[in-house]
Amino acid sequence: MQGISAVYRKEMADHFSSFRFVILFALIAMVSVITSYMAGITLKESLEGVAKPQFVFLMLFNTTGAMFSMVQFVAFFGPLIGIVLGFDTINRERAEGTLIKILTQPIFRDAVINGKFLAGVTTITIMLVSIVLIISGLGLILLGVVPGAEEIWRLLLYIVISVFYISFWLGLSILFSIFFRSIATSALASVALWIFLSFFVSLGASVLADMVAPANAPGVDSTEAIVKNIRVKEGISLSSPMSLYTKASATVIDPMRKTTEALVLMGPMEKISAGRFQNPLPIGQSVLVVYPYIIVLIALTLVCFAISYLVFMLQEIRT
Amino acid sequence: MRGIQNIISRHFMIMIMGALLCGVALFTPSAFADTEKSLPPRHILVAPEYPSVVVPEGESVSVDLTVRNGGRQGETIDISMPTVPKGWKAWIKTYSFKVSGVFVESDSSKSLTIKAEPEKGTGVGTYVFPIRAKTRDGRLTSASELIVTVEEKEKEEKKAEGINITTSYPVLKGPTDAKFEFSIEVQNKTDAEAVFNLAYEGPKNWDVNFKPSYEDKYFSSLRIKENQSQSMAVEVKPYILAEPGEYPIKVKINSDKAKGEVILTVVLTGTYKLDAGTADGLLSLNAYQGKPATISFFVKNNGSAAQNGIKFLTFKPESWKVEFTPEKIDSLPPGELSQVEMKITPAEQALVGDYSVAVSVEGEKSAKNMEFRVTVRASTAWGWVGIIIIVLVVIGLVFLFIRMGRR
Repeated sequence: MQGISAVYRKEMADHFSSFRFVILFALIAMVSVITSYMAGITLKESLEGVAKPQFVFLMLFNTTGAMFSMVQFVAFFGPLIGIVLGFDTINRERAEGTLIKILTQPIFRDAVINGKFLAGVTTITIMLVSIVLIISGLGLILLGVVPGAEEIWRLLLYIVISVFYISFWLGLSILFSIFFRSIATSALASVALWIFLSFFVSLGASVLADMVAPANAPGVDSTEAIVKNIRVKEGISLSSPMSLYTKASATVIDPMRKTTEALVLMGPMEKISAGRFQNPLPIGQSVLVVYPYIIVLIALTLVCFAISYLVFMLQEIRT
Repeated sequence: MRGIQNIISRHFMIMIMGALLCGVALFTPSAFADTEKSLPPRHILVAPEYPSVVVPEGESVSVDLTVRNGGRQGETIDISMPTVPKGWKAWIKTYSFKVSGVFVESDSSKSLTIKAEPEKGTGVGTYVFPIRAKTRDGRLTSASELIVTVEEKEKEEKKAEGINITTSYPVLKGPTDAKFEFSIEVQNKTDAEAVFNLAYEGPKNWDVNFKPSYEDKYFSSLRIKENQSQSMAVEVKPYILAEPGEYPIKVKINSDKAKGEVILTVVLTGTYKLDAGTADGLLSLNAYQGKPATISFFVKNNGSAAQNGIKFLTFKPESWKVEFTPEKIDSLPPGELSQVEMKITPAEQALVGDYSVAVSVEGEKSAKNMEFRVTVRASTAWGWVGIIIIVLVVIGLVFLFIRMGRR
């Protein structure tokens, strides 16, 4: 444990003193604040005259103001934080020859990777918590609405999901930094995978879905075809952690959201029946709806770290 | 002298002759009439137009009386009815007033009217009304008589003494909480305009009102002109706790001279009222997607008539299933309670959240709606799978730490 804490402390110091981190944090904080500010302004206008709006505070995070909401922003650019924090973890030490020096100290090899990963996760957590706190403070000033207990729980859950999501990318970039000796290669590989999973998977999913289950094929009931098409598309895009994260966080943040699916078939009777009581879901139900997504996200993160750990432990490091 | 005498006598003769001629010329027409229709010097006759009439009991009699002067000169004739049978009032009148004398010109006749009104209780029998006529100087008299035979009246007409009440629908049938409106027509058969008072005899606590047809005001008396009729309505509100059955209501209409009554009958079938609800008043339940949830509710017959064939209809989302045990209630006596189990199965694809399921309990003549809030909850069945996955991953990680650590 002593080894881990030493590595952890040193790594934290490195993170917070590096310009790279400060610039990135400043960028993300700025963009978050701007999006939330825009959301706040939009909300204020649209809520004027509404008798009793519910969960206004959470709307700060999921209202698309000018361009995109806070939640969407983290989904797209959160991975960058993870990648930036992790892409040179091991191979920089190796290139500078410090890895062997560390390991000559009474520090075990697993302490190095564990400490580095934990330090990364801590940094990510601090970052997310501070961003959420800044936005909350801004919301208090802008809207004058105090969040209720359930809203705070939902925000906490949102932070936990986000930490796991970004940690997945941290683990992935650490894995690449173990695999590739060159810093540039590991950085490129991480970014390439990020671009692929975040942008191309959703694009490819719709292309594939149109091939497998065309929406407007002749001789097929169009509603059924459209539903099938969308199911295929959603199934494929689930292979992207971004899609998992977006669905989970959007549902957790929005209590009125009752499903993760983009399209739900509803008969007219069902619509009337469901529209009769417009109640928000309790937080437990929201969590149950996105439970599989959260599980998969956590499992992915842990598995990704486990692979890095395994590879690092088995690697020949003296050369 | 002789000459003068001759002239005078001649003139006298001419005058006589002339006078004679004149007399002949003057009296010739009457001399001719006398020869065609030899009128007695004086003659009178009195006779009713119909000397004997038959009337139903209680009806008044009105017969024309002809008074004839067959003499050569006009006569003033006194007419009287020396005796009137017991139980009758009789007089002779013209159109507007009673008369006891009439002037009739020579060889003509006048028409008068004998009016005879029975007093109450004048029974069946033959009544003779003698009529005497005599000239003012008392030299000529004429006698006649009117024989009135009173028959027993038919039963229907016995009730209506001067008033005829008719109704098209004397029996109305309906539930206890309904309002019954009888339409009746009142005919004034007397020959005088009169104000009729309205009264009723009905069951206790019942509300009976008289009102004009199609108007919302009540009255208690009615003015009807002679020989005219007026339609009106009798509004009946039964006592709300009245047992089902037949209830007669006697409507009495009377004025000073006339009275009538009619019996209206209301047949109550009882009230039809259903109530339904849950024992604790809770109308919400939780259900899992695709899993049945049960709630029991009661159906109560709050009316006073039995309800037959109570069915349950539901308004629910498509592809949901709602089942009832029992499926329907064949018969529910008044005041009885019946327990029904409802099993709601949300669709597999149902979204998490609140749905509304409306149940309509429909009896033959009454229905009750209930709305249930069904909260569909996400199934926790997969929760274990998720926890197992996480636990396996963590175990794998720990295994790795133990196996690979400390190198």
